[in-house]
Amino acid sequence: MNISVNYLASVFNSTLRYMTPLLLVTLCAGVCSKARVFNIGLEGTLLMSAFFAFLTQYFTRNIFLAVFVGMITGMVVTFVIAFFIVKLNGEPMIVGMAINKFAQGLTTFLLQMIFHTKGTVSDTSMKGLTKIAIPGIKDIPVLGTMFGNLTVVDYFAFVLAIVMFIIMYRTVIGFRIRCLGINPEAASSLGVRVPRYQIIATTLSGSMIGLAGCLLSLGSVTMFMQNISAARGYVAIAANNLCFGHPLGALASSALFGFTTALAQVLQNSALKQQLLQCIPYISTILAMMVFNFANAKKKQK
Amino acid sequence: MTEKIFEIRHIDKLYGTLLANDDVSIHLNQGEILCLVGENGAGKSTIMKILYGLEAPTDGEIFVKGQKVHFHTPSDAMARGIGMVQQHFMLFENMSVAENIVFKNEISKGLFMDRKQTVQTVRKLSEKYGLKIDPEAKIEDCPVGLRQRVEILKILYQSAEIIIFDEPSAVLTPLEVESLLETIKSLAASGKSIVLITHKLQEVMTVADRIYVMRAGKVVAERLRGETDTDELAYLMVGHHPALREVPAAKPGKILLETKKLSLHREGRDILKDIDLHVDAGEVVGIAGVSGNGQTELEMCLTGLQRPTGGQVFLQGEEVTNAGVKAHRDSGMAYISEDRYLWGSAGEATLSENVLMAKENRPEFNSNNFLKQKAIKAYTKRLIERFSVKANDTEQKIRELSGGNAQKLITAREIMMDTPVLICCEPTRGIDIGAMEFIHDRILEKRENGCGVLLVSSELNEIMTLSDRIYVLFEGKITGEFKRGAVDEKTLGVLMLGGRHD
Amino acid sequence: MTKLKKFGSKFLEALGQPLVAVLLSLLIGAVIIGLSGKDILSSYAIMFKGAFGDGYYLSATLQRSTAIIMGGLAVCIAWRSGYESMGGEGQMIFGALLSALIAYYMPGPGIAKILVGILGAALVGAVYSILSGWLWEKFSVTFIISTLMMNYIANYIASYLTTYKVKDPQSRDINSIQTGKLIEEARFGKVSGLFQSDGLKETALGQYFKDFSVHWGFFFAIACAVLVYILLRKTKFGYQSKMNGLNSRFALYGGINARGMLYLVMILSGIAAGLGGAFEVFGSKYRYIDQMIFSTGYAWSGMVGALLANFDPFGTVLACILLAGLSTGGSAMQRSAGIPVETVNMLEGIIMLLMSVKLLHLIVIRRKVSREDRLKHEAELENGKEAEAK
Repeated sequence: MNISVNYLASVFNSTLRYMTPLLLVTLCAGVCSKARVFNIGLEGTLLMSAFFAFLTQYFTRNIFLAVFVGMITGMVVTFVIAFFIVKLNGEPMIVGMAINKFAQGLTTFLLQMIFHTKGTVSDTSMKGLTKIAIPGIKDIPVLGTMFGNLTVVDYFAFVLAIVMFIIMYRTVIGFRIRCLGINPEAASSLGVRVPRYQIIATTLSGSMIGLAGCLLSLGSVTMFMQNISAARGYVAIAANNLCFGHPLGALASSALFGFTTALAQVLQNSALKQQLLQCIPYISTILAMMVFNFANAKKKQK
Repeated sequence: MTEKIFEIRHIDKLYGTLLANDDVSIHLNQGEILCLVGENGAGKSTIMKILYGLEAPTDGEIFVKGQKVHFHTPSDAMARGIGMVQQHFMLFENMSVAENIVFKNEISKGLFMDRKQTVQTVRKLSEKYGLKIDPEAKIEDCPVGLRQRVEILKILYQSAEIIIFDEPSAVLTPLEVESLLETIKSLAASGKSIVLITHKLQEVMTVADRIYVMRAGKVVAERLRGETDTDELAYLMVGHHPALREVPAAKPGKILLETKKLSLHREGRDILKDIDLHVDAGEVVGIAGVSGNGQTELEMCLTGLQRPTGGQVFLQGEEVTNAGVKAHRDSGMAYISEDRYLWGSAGEATLSENVLMAKENRPEFNSNNFLKQKAIKAYTKRLIERFSVKANDTEQKIRELSGGNAQKLITAREIMMDTPVLICCEPTRGIDIGAMEFIHDRILEKRENGCGVLLVSSELNEIMTLSDRIYVLFEGKITGEFKRGAVDEKTLGVLMLGGRHD
Repeated sequence: MTKLKKFGSKFLEALGQPLVAVLLSLLIGAVIIGLSGKDILSSYAIMFKGAFGDGYYLSATLQRSTAIIMGGLAVCIAWRSGYESMGGEGQMIFGALLSALIAYYMPGPGIAKILVGILGAALVGAVYSILSGWLWEKFSVTFIISTLMMNYIANYIASYLTTYKVKDPQSRDINSIQTGKLIEEARFGKVSGLFQSDGLKETALGQYFKDFSVHWGFFFAIACAVLVYILLRKTKFGYQSKMNGLNSRFALYGGINARGMLYLVMILSGIAAGLGGAFEVFGSKYRYIDQMIFSTGYAWSGMVGALLANFDPFGTVLACILLAGLSTGGSAMQRSAGIPVETVNMLEGIIMLLMSVKLLHLIVIRRKVSREDRLKHEAELENGKEAEAK
């Protein structure tokens, strides 16, 4: 294989593009886990957000509206999940899987009803999210490749990671959310309405899944296909475990999984076949969890 | 005339059919240290939980500074200047000391936490009351004594005037206890009013101004410190008991259960230290002690649920130290757990399923790994009848039984195991007198059949009645061993509370 | 009278929740159909007819339910014991692929191909299931992550193999990614001609069953359900696993070996799922076709079925047939009313969501567990897990 600087630059670029949706979902997973809402419906939330953002763009050709709808979708679905878990005492596992299943059904149903197809929808006349080309950089050969083809939301995801860090670790609200997640009993004994905090915090963080959805269907490619979320919601749970729900740690863990996905992409021309390459992100997720838990257990023993 | 800062009048508290507080009236004076003493279950904590808004009284009135109040939540009580240091700390583990103290009343600049100011305020607070802490340390790194200090500061930060301590020394080392008592004294000196719930009488005699003794939900005595001594208090706490029932002398045989230097070391503390005990065939051996002195861990080590960090356990001469529960049970041990819900039963399972536990391999219920449902049901029915458990059906869920009836069924299950060794912990907790006598009879019957019974109970009366030998467990160590009749309740009471045997 | 009352309350407890869930979801389905501008009643009528209307449709439903039932049984075994494995899909994929390969490549008589194929499917399902159990026991990788990831991995590996390694040698169509078709003798036979004796032929029953023809797989699945029922209800293992699921500490207290229990449960549940794949191959598809398990969502429907039945094996069979009926009926609805069959997926999601909460408790009984109790319970469970880890 010919490993050139340009080649590495394109790997870097793919990593960035694969990591940003994952980063956004991981950030939401972080808030959920800090608030002690066991949310495994991220996958379905992501799928629905991607779909409704795409749908809005398809019909209105208004990218702002599309992003807005995507975020609202993320929030509404996350609210339903949080409400069922926190208020109705639903079994979190089943609530999450139900949402994922429902999302799968709803998106294929609407795909069929509206576009009369089961597979992929794309419209070349449709524009996705605005791509940003940083003036000085885009013409420099290597740097240009490294940062090419990134949208506003991609950059915004990185900003959001920092913003989320500030919210969760520097503001009063974030402080309370973290506290009540650690010990809800103690928080409520001091007169904090725990369920309300949990629902509001998770619902708001759902908007980040909405953004991630926009990145999937309106990002580097403008299209929607069945199961476009491709288990990112589940990988995000693993990524979140790796970084203990810390927003800045999410940068690292989502970069790791972004890289493994990119690896599958860039190795396409190698001897390994497509289907095996596609296993890489999933296998690496399990491996990462194994190594991480093993190391943690070792540390605890000491 | 000193001012009454709070007054509780004629409070009753009913839990189901259990009267936890029976016409309790107490008051606290400004700047005073008041001690509430009594055995486990005497109702001390309940009355303070009512005052703190954690429990609602069934009947009665509460006055704070002369005003009648109704507390629905602890926040209500806090708003009136009442704070409580609970037995189980209400802290946020991986947050800093300062953060824990300011929670809910954070010091902020706009939306942001003002971390500098927070640390400074907390530092000032700690200096003001002489409670040394490092505001920036993480709670998880703090030893128990420090955590308690954080709880106290948390309450002071909310400018409480009345501070209730619920068994504060239960979790502390002797050195930590000393400094806690100093703290309590200095808080009172600075004008705070203190209620201390405890059953450690030395502490009472060190700090108390005034003392209420509670027994069986009632206040049985009020004393000023000068008027009384530990002996009288111990006597008042334990109370007069009806004459002990006549139990014929034991005829101990060979050793059935034995431990050698059994130790358990956890999180830097010795939970159990060098326990040497033995239970012989044909005797009942009691473990007397205030709960929280290592009983739970001892029973778990003896039954194989917990691996000890040192020492050995022998059952009928065979070592089973690390062999696991099944090996323990197979070598002839039955076990009544002290926590019937957490360990002793599965609430959603039926009565017969609960009864079957640990018997599913016995040929009378199992043929080639198929369960003999009919035999199991019939057996369950027999237990229900024999132990007069109030139940409709062997197939109802055990969760639907009342606590006492569930306890009876669980006790029945283990007693009827017919094993040479029975470890029973609090076998009669929460059940009525008649059933209690019945269970006592069964335990003695086991003894007559040549079995060895280890009885762990916080009911001194139960221990005194049934045991042929008594070990006293205090802070994880055996501090005394007596034959039946060689000791009286008062001496035992003093030993259990950490006193010395003269 | 009291007996009647008792029966009534038992009935309400067992069936109330699933009935309410199914009815509510059908109601929501009606809203969706209404919103897409179709006639609700006639759509549902078509759906029902397409699911159970006559012997032909019934056969389609029952054949479809075969793999779903097996997936459901796998969930019954695992979840009832407290292990929330969702790996049925991956196990089923490997079961289907391996059995198709064995039956295609292994020389010998048809019956031997079938038997060895079934054996292989059971084995590979069990192994794949054990793997997730091992990840949990040794590395604390939760089932949610391990099993879901392993489902995707299984699907891609199967896809790879069928595309490059074991593709049907006879097929010239480059787009058909599938293994070779099984010979006639290596397929399940069909049961047909029920109630067609001379006396019954003209009756309504005979007319209904005129086109009835269902492969053995369905009956094997029923047999499996009976076996699982016996295993869970009548044996020591069933008792111990149930206790482990209800209160793992109580199980420890009674001396049940937690580790042995985990692996035994994983093996049995893996076998069930693996067999589901094999039945689908021998009964319906006669080969492994890329995505055949993944895209149909058999394992997921099975999970919904098991949840609906509260992990009772016979209830699971009924619920899975109902869910299969939703799908076959859904296809009929798609053909004639143009309503996509995926509506059914949505309904399943809604059913699941409704099953996640104690509906009856919320609606009828209005008994609410206090939040504090639940938190305390959760904290206890966590401590328990830590204690076990130690």
